[in-house]
Amino acid sequence: MTNAAAPLILLVEDEPQIRRFVRAALEEEGCRVVEAATAKGALEAMSANPSLLVLDLGLPDRDGVDLIRELRGWSAVPILVLSARAAEDQKVEALDAGADDYLSKPFGVGELRARVRALLRRQSAAGGEAVVEFGDVRVDHVHRTVTRGGEAVHLTPIEYRLLCLLLASTGKVLTHRQLLREVWGPGHGERSHYLRIYIGHLRQKLEADPARPCHLLTETGVGYRFQR
Amino acid sequence: MSPMQSAASTRSLAYAWALLACGVTALAATPLLEVVDPANIIVLFLLTVALVARFWGSGPALAAALASVALFDFFFVPPRFTFAVADAQYLLSFAVMLVVALIIGQLMARLREEAESAARREAQTRALYEMARELSAALTASQVAEIVSRFLAGYLRVAASLYLPDQNDHLTRVAPESGVGHDHGPAAIPHVTAVFESGAAMSLAAEESGYAPALALPLVSPVRCRGVLLAAAPSAEAVFAEEQRPLLEAVASLVAIAVERLHYVDVAQQATLNMESERLRSALLSAVSHDLRTPLTVLVGLADSLALARPPLPVALSETATALRDQALRLSGLVHNLLDMARFQVGKARLKKEWQPLEEVVGAALKDLGARLESCPIRIDLAADLPPLEFDAVLMERVLCNLLENAVKYAPQGPIAIEARQAGEWVAVSVLDEGPGLPQGVEESLFELFERGRHEGTATGVGLGLAICRAIVEAHGGTIRGENRPEGGARFTFTLPVGEPPAMEMEEEKAQGDD
Repeated sequence: MTNAAAPLILLVEDEPQIRRFVRAALEEEGCRVVEAATAKGALEAMSANPSLLVLDLGLPDRDGVDLIRELRGWSAVPILVLSARAAEDQKVEALDAGADDYLSKPFGVGELRARVRALLRRQSAAGGEAVVEFGDVRVDHVHRTVTRGGEAVHLTPIEYRLLCLLLASTGKVLTHRQLLREVWGPGHGERSHYLRIYIGHLRQKLEADPARPCHLLTETGVGYRFQR
Repeated sequence: MSPMQSAASTRSLAYAWALLACGVTALAATPLLEVVDPANIIVLFLLTVALVARFWGSGPALAAALASVALFDFFFVPPRFTFAVADAQYLLSFAVMLVVALIIGQLMARLREEAESAARREAQTRALYEMARELSAALTASQVAEIVSRFLAGYLRVAASLYLPDQNDHLTRVAPESGVGHDHGPAAIPHVTAVFESGAAMSLAAEESGYAPALALPLVSPVRCRGVLLAAAPSAEAVFAEEQRPLLEAVASLVAIAVERLHYVDVAQQATLNMESERLRSALLSAVSHDLRTPLTVLVGLADSLALARPPLPVALSETATALRDQALRLSGLVHNLLDMARFQVGKARLKKEWQPLEEVVGAALKDLGARLESCPIRIDLAADLPPLEFDAVLMERVLCNLLENAVKYAPQGPIAIEARQAGEWVAVSVLDEGPGLPQGVEESLFELFERGRHEGTATGVGLGLAICRAIVEAHGGTIRGENRPEGGARFTFTLPVGEPPAMEMEEEKAQGDD
């Protein structure tokens, strides 16, 4: 389990008992784990060149969001954030600063492992698949066509752009602000009701049950996530 | 000397002065007779009558007028030193002199009375103003009693007692701060209570007031009757002067304002006190909740690790680990609820209201509950034409989660339904189950803190969830209620205002690939 090919994960968390079970879960997943209890320790451990950072936002010596901003200045390492359940603003801040995904405390081990797997896979896959399939939907980027159960689905340009953006970040949470900026351009940060309406349209067109979506998921108070 | 005797002697003295003044005028005018015509002497007498009226009033002026005519006749009309009149034309002079003297006397006297009453009114107003000023600075009921009894004793020689209601609305006498004033004892209580209840003033006989003839005045404020002011004459024999009543009524209304002000000062102090203790409690709650989170995360994580351990634990142990995790998760949910409620009670919960479709938050709530709803069929029936609504998505998800959790707790086999309809200015969202329904008569108390519908312990959890639902829905300007469905089961419905959704410019429908 400690062979050199196994991905190295940097775990930054000040609570030793949480480190303990997270470490166990990650090793179970076949990863090597380096631990740090402080932001200072985390920056030092970055020299080991980890493949993924699991970061608790409530560090004793520094604001976690601040640390993400600094790391994003020189590193593209995927970051999974651990945060309190009610702190939606903090999650949005962390994601806007460059974090890739978040987990609310308390979280299950299964969920943690699934998120870590998804982030590691995203990193290894260079992305840019020409054809993406989920459920009975097929998206052909080359011909710009979307079919559902073999039948062509008509999407407006904005709907199509939104869908492509979500597909390109499969498994990753995109905040409202990120989506608005990418689809509508800068200066549209206040038009989140547009985003919600368009996501609703996409669900009507692509989800089997739009009220209980399986692929275009809502992260309430934070943003959206595409899941295959 | 009694007041009446003193008034009588003052009056006779005034007549004496009036007559003396006429005599002096006659003496002073005698030397003038050699240089002026007797007719001009009349003017001097008229002046005297005017002055008498000015200083001593109409009675003495009348006496002076008569005396003047007599003296003029005796000393100045030939033949002098007799009342006989030689020239008949002097009779006309006497008549005119008498009439003019009487008119001047009356006019002067009335002028004097008006000046006196104006001065009296002014003094009264000033005294009332002084009392009002003192009352506005009073901090306790006994200070109010002190001020009003001092004013009435000094100004009207009336003994005042203030009666205010206690918590049970029973009137009791407020002893003035310095202890002066007369306590009428229990005799007056039934009468002042009657005044308090009817709100109309009442005159009391000496034996009714237990002291002296008295007037009981209600302290009427804009809101309600705040008490009774009992004003008693100085002694049992004294007559209570009815003309003092307007002044007493003015005093009573000033006292009413003062008492009402004291009441609101009390209310404000009590409210501040309540707010402080509420804030303290909530701060404590939120600190406790915060500290509970870390160990709960550890507990959930460690129990989950055990449940998923490789190689697998023996079944019994693995089940224990799963149960541990589930309980820890449930505990965490409770802590979360507690924290939310604390935030709401402290008033720190800021709403992040945004326009969005209801459908989205319904889907998010169902996903969030996930495994807990697995065994339970769910029907979603949202009207197709629902407008977007303005709400805080995170909080609205909590409302739906709490209502769904509640439904699944009491009707674990389902089915559960979520319905939403627009009715005029409101959208009503309902969560329905086919469980045992709500006990009769608890529909409203369900939403109170720590209230639960059923007392048997098969379903766990304090009634915090519904209390939070109410706090959240009411913060959005809506209402929430629970009721039994005629076909069995419970229905919880909350409403949200439709408001005015922002105008949307949607793109024109055209095929993808054209952009």
